[in-house]
Amino acid sequence: MALEDFRADAMRCTRCAYCKWIPFDLMKSARFSRGCPSIEAGKFHSYSAGGRLVTALSLMDGRSTVTEKVKESVFKCTLCGQCDVSCKMCRYDMEPLEAMRELRATLVNEGHTLPQIEPVIAGLRTNFNMVGKPARDRGNWAKELKVKDLTKRKAEYVFHAGCRYSFDGDLGQVARTCVNILTAAKVDFGIFGKSEKCCGGRACDMGYRNDFQAKADFNLIAWRKAGVRTVITPCAECFHTFSRKYTAQAGSEIKVVSMVQFVDDLIKEGKLKLTRTVDLKVTYHDPCHLGRQGEPYVPWDGKEKKIFGQAVCYDPPRPKYNGAWGVYDPPRDILKAIPGVQLVEMERIREAAWCCGAGGGAREAYPEFSRSTANERLEEARSTGADAIVTACPWCERNFIDATEANGTAMKVFDVIELVGRAIDGEEQ
Amino acid sequence: MTIEISRDAYRAIEDIVGADNISDDPAFLDSYAFEWLAELVRPNRSHYMPRPWAVVLPGSTEEVAAVTKVCNKYGIKVKPISTGWYHWAAPMKDNEPTVQFDLRRMDKIIEIDEKNMYAIVEPYVICAQLQAEVMKLGLNVNIIGAGCSTSIVASACAYFGGGPSSYYMGNNSDNLLGQEWVTPAGDVLRTGSLSSGAGWFCSEGPGPSPRAITRGNLGSRGGLGTYTKCAIKLSPWLGPPVLEPKGPPPGYRLPIPDNFRVYTIGAPDWDAWAECYYQIYDNNIGYIFHRQFNLAGADLAPALWLNYIDPTKTLNDVEVSAKDPEIQRITDEARISFQFIMQGNSIEDIQLQDKILDTILKQTGCYKVKRFCEPDMAEFTNMYMQRLGHKHCNFIWVGGYMGSWMQPGTPDFVKSYVPVAISGFERDQKSHKLVECGGDAMMGCGSTLGGGGYSGLEQFVSYDPNDNESIDACVKHMEDAIADTAEHGIPPGKELLYLQIGWQDERIWNAMAKMQQQFVFSFQRKIKEAFDPNALGDRNYPWLPEGWGAKTEAPTEASANK
Repeated sequence: MALEDFRADAMRCTRCAYCKWIPFDLMKSARFSRGCPSIEAGKFHSYSAGGRLVTALSLMDGRSTVTEKVKESVFKCTLCGQCDVSCKMCRYDMEPLEAMRELRATLVNEGHTLPQIEPVIAGLRTNFNMVGKPARDRGNWAKELKVKDLTKRKAEYVFHAGCRYSFDGDLGQVARTCVNILTAAKVDFGIFGKSEKCCGGRACDMGYRNDFQAKADFNLIAWRKAGVRTVITPCAECFHTFSRKYTAQAGSEIKVVSMVQFVDDLIKEGKLKLTRTVDLKVTYHDPCHLGRQGEPYVPWDGKEKKIFGQAVCYDPPRPKYNGAWGVYDPPRDILKAIPGVQLVEMERIREAAWCCGAGGGAREAYPEFSRSTANERLEEARSTGADAIVTACPWCERNFIDATEANGTAMKVFDVIELVGRAIDGEEQ
Repeated sequence: MTIEISRDAYRAIEDIVGADNISDDPAFLDSYAFEWLAELVRPNRSHYMPRPWAVVLPGSTEEVAAVTKVCNKYGIKVKPISTGWYHWAAPMKDNEPTVQFDLRRMDKIIEIDEKNMYAIVEPYVICAQLQAEVMKLGLNVNIIGAGCSTSIVASACAYFGGGPSSYYMGNNSDNLLGQEWVTPAGDVLRTGSLSSGAGWFCSEGPGPSPRAITRGNLGSRGGLGTYTKCAIKLSPWLGPPVLEPKGPPPGYRLPIPDNFRVYTIGAPDWDAWAECYYQIYDNNIGYIFHRQFNLAGADLAPALWLNYIDPTKTLNDVEVSAKDPEIQRITDEARISFQFIMQGNSIEDIQLQDKILDTILKQTGCYKVKRFCEPDMAEFTNMYMQRLGHKHCNFIWVGGYMGSWMQPGTPDFVKSYVPVAISGFERDQKSHKLVECGGDAMMGCGSTLGGGGYSGLEQFVSYDPNDNESIDACVKHMEDAIADTAEHGIPPGKELLYLQIGWQDERIWNAMAKMQQQFVFSFQRKIKEAFDPNALGDRNYPWLPEGWGAKTEAPTEASANK
C-alpha cells in the first residue's frame, strides 16, 4: 500500500468526529466518554484520525509540508485503534487506522523520523529487541526451566515470550508460568531462548516497515526450520503482529494463539484446575492488540466497486475489522474461574477500551503523554472499586506499573496469567 | 495560502491562551478548512473551505472575550466551532484573515439542576455526554437530528435544533434557558434570568433576551459571536439510569423495558401517513417520533438495516439482499414508514398508549411493519433512536450526503411536496452519478414542535465526494430541487442554505432583497452594527447593507454577480 491508496478515505471523511469518542451507544458517563488519547493530549483536530487523513491529503497535494508540529501530530498517538472502531460504526469504506500507519511509514521513508525513536530502532537492529537490552540476556527468564530449545530441536508449538516478558524482570514470572502450564498440558512446544527475536510489530507501528519485515522474515524462517505449526504468545502486541501481520505474508501458514485463549480452553476442557483462592477484586483492561485489534486476519486482494450507482463496496468483499471479534471473553472467563476473584468492569471495555498509553511508540517517544494516558485508565479502574487492574499484555502492565509508582497510587497491576499461576496448586508464587 | 498578518496579533493571542493553544501550522489549518459539503460550493470541487489564519483553543469565556478583542484590534474575523461540522463551520472567504475558535477545551457540564430540570453546559459538551449523565437522574435531553455527537450549545443557541424526541421534549432552541454570549466586539452578554443575577432558569428575562436577533440558523451557521455557556431544559426519562446495550458493533441492541414500546409504523399511502401523524399528535402518545431508517432510501432501507444489524455483513451483502424476494416484500411493506417509541409512566399507561395506537392504526389503515418490530430490529431501533449514536449512517453509502428539501410545516404541507421531491430525485438518479436508492429517501422528525403539529422531510442525496462527476450530479440535483420548488410554489429547502455558502455577498444580498419580508434583514443590520461594529462576526448572519432592500430597488442578478 501507499499513502495515495488512502486518498479516497480522506476525501470521503466527513469530519463527523466519531473518531474522538467511544461508540456513543456505549457511553455511560461524561467522565469516561472520550475514546482517543491523542486528541485529548494534542487538542487540535490534527491529533485525531480524521485530522490525520486531512494531513495526509494536504501533504500529498503539496498544500503543506512536514513540520515539527506535523510530525508530533502524526506520531503522538498510540495507534490504539479506538478511532477505527468508532468510525466504522457507520462506515464500511474507511480504514483510518491503516491510513495512519501508512502516513507514519511515509514520513519515516522520507526521513522525517523522531530522534527519540532512533535509539530504539538501533537497538532492534543490533540486539533484536525493543527494550534496549543485550541480545545475549534474552533467554535468561527461562534459564532454570527444562524446555525444548528450538534452535536445536523441533516442536509443533513455539512459545514466543516477546521482548517485554523476556527482559522485564518484574514480568518474567508470567513467561515462566506459561511454560509450566504448557508443560503440564503436555504440549509439544519449545522456545528459541536467547535466539528469539522481536516480532517487529512495534517497529512497524512506528513506521519502520523494513525493520518489521526483517524480523518477520527471520522468525518465519526459524519457525519453519523448527517444524513449528503454531505460535503461542502471552504478549498482546506479538499476538497481533503474528496473527495479523505475519499471516498476511506470502507463504505463511502459521497458526497463532494467545496464551489467554489457550488457558481458557484448558480450563473449559477440565485440563487445568484452578484451586487456590486468590482473594481479589479486579477489573480487566482489554489490551488494544488483543481486543479490538485482535480480530483474525482474513486475506484480501481486491478493489473498490460501485453498486446502486455510487455506493461503495469491494470485489471480492473486503474483510471488516471493527473490533467485533477481538479476544475479549477468554481473559474474563479465566478471571471468573479463579476462586476468590471478583471481576468488576470499567465503563470503557472490549472494543471501547481506553488505551494503556504504551503503544505506537508513544511510550518511547512521548513518555509524558504515555503516562497521562495510563493515568486516565487507572482512574477509571479506581472508579470501579477494584483493588487491581489485570491485563494480558506486558506493555500495558509496564505502563500501568510505572504510572502507579510515579503517582504513589495503591492500584495493583497483574497479568491474567500471573493470577492463574497463583491459583494453580504447586505453582511458584 | 496562509494570510500574512502582524505577528503581534499572534503573540497577543498566544499570551492569552498559551502557546499550546494556538497554531498556524498550514497542515493544522487545513484540518479545519477541510469540511463536509465544501466540494459542493468551492472552486474546482475543492474539499477545503478557506483556511483560517490561526486556530485558537480558548479555555474559558474570559479567554474567548480577550481573544475576540485582539481580533477587533487587528481586524481579524472570528469563527467559532464546537464539534465542527458542515462547510459553514469554516471561515468563509479566502482573503479575510479569520481566527477559528475550536472550543473543545470548554467541555464541562457545569451543573445539573435535577429539581428544576435543567443543565448548564459549555460548548464542547455533546448530547451523548449530557444524556448519559441526566438519565441517571430520571431526566433526558432532546438530541438533535444530526445526532448525539453534536454540541448542546450549538443546537440550543441556533434557530433549529429539532430531533426525534422534539415531539415530546421540544426542540433545543425552545429548551434554551439562560445563555452566555461573547459578542463579536468581545463583550460578554448574559441573557434571560441570568442577566439579572437570578440564575439560569429562564431565557426571556427578567432582563434582555436577544437570542432571536443574534442567533444563527443551524449549528455554527450565522450566529453572531461565540456562545460560551447555556442552560438547557430537560425532560422526564422513565427508562433505566444507564443504557446497557448488548451485542457486537455496529448494531448494538438496547433491551426494551416493560414500560416502553418500539415500533416501525407503515402507511399505505401519504394521506394515511399524514392522518396517522395528526392522530398521534391529538392523542398525545409517544416519546420518540421520527422517520429515520428511510435515510437509506425506500428501495434499499430494509436491505441495508437488516444487514447492518448483522456484524458479519457488509454493503456487498446489501447488494444481494436487495434482490431477495422476501426483502423486496418487506421493502414494499415499509415503503412509507416511520419509527415510533412510547414511554409509559406505568405498565397501565403504556398499555393504554398501545391501545390508542392500535386504534389509530385501525382508523388510518396504517400498520406495524412486522419484521422491523421483531426483537432484533426493535432493540436496534431502540438503541438507535434513544441515543442517536448512528447518525453518521447518513454517510453510509459512500461518504457524501446532502440533504435537500426539509421545508417544515404541517403533515398536510409535507405530504404536498413529497411527490415533487420524489419525482425530482428519481429524475436525477438517472444520471447514475448519485446513489440509486429510490426517489423517496426522505427522513425527518415526527414533529419539531413539542406536542406535535410541525414536521418536515429531508431528501437524503448520497454522492461520492471522491468523484467529481458525482459531486457535479449532486450540485445539479440541488439546483433542480430549487427549480422544482419554484415551479410548484414551494419555498426552497436546505439545498439553498448549502449552496449559498458558495455565493458572493452581493448575490446573497440580492436574494434577500427580493424576499417578502426583506425589511427583517435591514433591521438585523442595525443589530449587527450594535454588536459587531467592525464586521468581524460570521458572514452568514443574515443582514442587508444600507441601500439594499426596502428603500431602493435591488440590483439585478447580473449586476450583483459582477
